[in-house]
Amino acid sequence: MNPSAGQVLGRIEGELRAFWSSPPAPGETARARACTRNLVVVAGTPDLADRWVATLDGVLQTVPARAIVVGLDPDAADGLDASATAVCTRGESGGPPVCSERVTLQARGTACARVASCVETLCATDVPTTLVWLGRVHADDLLFAPLARAADRIILDSTQGSVADLAHAVRWASARPGGERPGVADLAWTRLAPWHELCARMFDEPRLRGLAANVTRVGIVQASDAGTALGSEGALLLGWLATRLSWKSTSLAGKLRLVRRDDGPVRAQLGAECSAQAPRGTLFGVQIEASAGPMTMTGAIRREQGEADAAIWRLEVTSGSETQRIEQRVRLRASELAPLLERTLRRPPHDEALVESVVWADGLLGEELACW
Amino acid sequence: MATSPPIAPNPLRHGLIEDRTSDACAAVIFGASGDLTRRKLMPALYNLAWGRALPGGFAVVGVGRRDKTDESFRAEMREAVAGFSRRKPIDAALWADFERGLSYVRGAANEPATYESLRTQLQRIDSERGTRGNHLFYLAVPPSEFGPIVEGLRASGLVAPPGGERTGGAWTRVVFEKPFGHDLASARALNDAIASAFHESQVFRIDHYLGKETVQNLLVMRFANVLFEPVWGRGHVDQVQITVAEEIGLEGRGRFYEQTGVTRDIVENHLMQLLCLTAMEPPISLSADAVRDEKVKVLRSLRPMDRDDVALHVVRGQYGRGIVHGDEAVAYREEPDVSPSSNVETYVAMRCFVDNWRWSGVPFYVRAGKRLARRVTEIAVVFHEVPRTLFRAAHAASTAVGAADGGQSGMTPNVLAVRIQPDEGIALRFISKEPGQQTVLREVAMDFRYGMAFGSNTPEAYERLLLDAMRGEATLFTRRDEVEAQWEYMDHVLEAWTASGPPPPPVYPAGSWGPVQADELLARDGRRWRKP
Repeated sequence: MNPSAGQVLGRIEGELRAFWSSPPAPGETARARACTRNLVVVAGTPDLADRWVATLDGVLQTVPARAIVVGLDPDAADGLDASATAVCTRGESGGPPVCSERVTLQARGTACARVASCVETLCATDVPTTLVWLGRVHADDLLFAPLARAADRIILDSTQGSVADLAHAVRWASARPGGERPGVADLAWTRLAPWHELCARMFDEPRLRGLAANVTRVGIVQASDAGTALGSEGALLLGWLATRLSWKSTSLAGKLRLVRRDDGPVRAQLGAECSAQAPRGTLFGVQIEASAGPMTMTGAIRREQGEADAAIWRLEVTSGSETQRIEQRVRLRASELAPLLERTLRRPPHDEALVESVVWADGLLGEELACW
Repeated sequence: MATSPPIAPNPLRHGLIEDRTSDACAAVIFGASGDLTRRKLMPALYNLAWGRALPGGFAVVGVGRRDKTDESFRAEMREAVAGFSRRKPIDAALWADFERGLSYVRGAANEPATYESLRTQLQRIDSERGTRGNHLFYLAVPPSEFGPIVEGLRASGLVAPPGGERTGGAWTRVVFEKPFGHDLASARALNDAIASAFHESQVFRIDHYLGKETVQNLLVMRFANVLFEPVWGRGHVDQVQITVAEEIGLEGRGRFYEQTGVTRDIVENHLMQLLCLTAMEPPISLSADAVRDEKVKVLRSLRPMDRDDVALHVVRGQYGRGIVHGDEAVAYREEPDVSPSSNVETYVAMRCFVDNWRWSGVPFYVRAGKRLARRVTEIAVVFHEVPRTLFRAAHAASTAVGAADGGQSGMTPNVLAVRIQPDEGIALRFISKEPGQQTVLREVAMDFRYGMAFGSNTPEAYERLLLDAMRGEATLFTRRDEVEAQWEYMDHVLEAWTASGPPPPPVYPAGSWGPVQADELLARDGRRWRKP
């Protein structure tokens, strides 16, 4: 007979206590335990949960936590399995290893509905809880709401789900009472941070600041095949530009139209870089054009082919008969999951720009992209 | 004269939270061949590049006397970064991007041709890399060269008007390394020379202690938590002990140390800054001037010492032979470039009083020294004993650090220790009951360690400070009046020693915690030093 959930959890609690209550055996190195948060990762399939274990172990090297990885399999026969382990990193200056705890839970069948209760039992007390939800977000999901209610922060990955999922989580969080409102973060949004900075760099020069209100064209290119829809990275970047620069979106004959604050049009060109070697759906390039009076500016960022973490940033400014060109090769941040999650965890929990951009991007039309 | 309106902020910068960077700019390092550039500045810049904290087009111009090409300078800097960066191994692709911005100008501080070459080079960089005339000058040179460099920059027109960046113009900032003067008069003269070319808002006097995470956390701990502030004063604090102890000796700096001693090297700057941050009132904001105003108030509240006071409240020492870390160590007077009859102090302990309402009557015991038992920098706030204890009879063996006799109550006082280095963190010591049938009390500690909670790869102080200087954020730099107030206080001590022709400082064995006279200084108050 399968043990009950209570028996499984009791065993895990006992194992966790035993890690720290037993003195080291002769010849064994003493360990120090550190826990700054609960990090609850919920994956829609056991395989996905397995893949995230290595990612989490990487994160635990620099973010000491009690990690709880949950793999769900609602269609399988009922059952709950669990294991606990310590994930240790070398101590500073020859000190003892510093250890986090990782608990893995595999819930099958009806046990999936009881996972929130299991997680609550296993969370360390008096430290914040971050929920990393790897899947779609449905309004009536029996698991999302109770787990999210117990979390101080919810992290999604809209490249795996969609902007609509992210928008749902944002709206759900916004509806919570002030003191209980979790912050919402998105791994795709974190991935975009260098692109935000590079776009902002186009208008840093004081004489170009005014051009930010006079953008005439924006081009967004993603690595994908023709016929696919704009992915979450492209949509969020467009949302970010639109909300920072006070653009409104309309449609004309089913096509996206952007209008500036002064009612001037912004031509939006969304396309696919079909030959790109970058992962499908990732942002590949951005181009912004602006003009006011005798001055025109074209800024462009484009990933280097074959070098996912580098891009070429170009700025060309023409004022009368004089043209200035600057080209810089810049490093984008690495896109591996572990550093991405770590950076997301270190960001402030509430990000107004994300919320505004998500709400704006959620209203985008599902245009099919043609090769650029 | 009509003033230009301030330029509008960049709307795309609003709300950016991850990549903290500055305006596009070029940094010019005077003393590019020196140890500081190799060990600290260039690794810090590389790490900023690694963290994407440098602005686009960022460039570094090294200035030095030695003949070098851009290529040889880059090779030398690559070697330095490979050796001293906290991130290893060096990222070849990142370095390839970074080194494109490195160049070298040969020249001496007192030669006008140096500045002509520098101006030409900066014009080229501004045009090619888009640095727009924004220049950070870093003076990693001996103080004797500060004056000529300041004059050279001014005379060659390399100093932009202050505040120009607010109206869309270029900015110039200048960073000075310590020591900043060797007494009050020389510090004032230096400040006057600097003021002839730079507005105070353009001047960044570095004290790298202020760039350390734990030092910054001292402000956060005090002013972001409600727990500590109510007990932070004479009502609850018995004494404060601040220790800056080093194991190392001179490490080849004998000539420098003979000119400075520990008082000018450590006490006048680092130690005084730690005292200020511990004793200051809450600032009205975290703006540079609000924080520095409060620190200056502390310095002005320090009770001045006349010659008799110095004899009573200050102890000097000089290390003799001894054992440090299991190895034999030579005496100070046996170090290279040190006079065999030198009276320079390698240890100082002082009893200071901050004469304001909060700290009236609370002694601040501060000490700094070389060749001490271990390397440690900490601030320990020792609280009063409980007024009456119920547990005296069953108290376990104590390791009292407060009252020398273990205290009236027989119980050791609570101590809040802020560890600056190594093992940065905060520990609160208190009394707890041992498990068992009897009431046996024991000291325990709640111990927060930065490295455990946040990982050990925290930024070096120079990374934070260089970026702050590029961004024009001066909170972690010392202001003119602050430096002069530090010297004003320390001058009393230095003058007392000079005037009375003091006897040679007492010798303490290398590897000990200093001369016995330092222990006696506290013993007279019925207290003793912590053994951190």
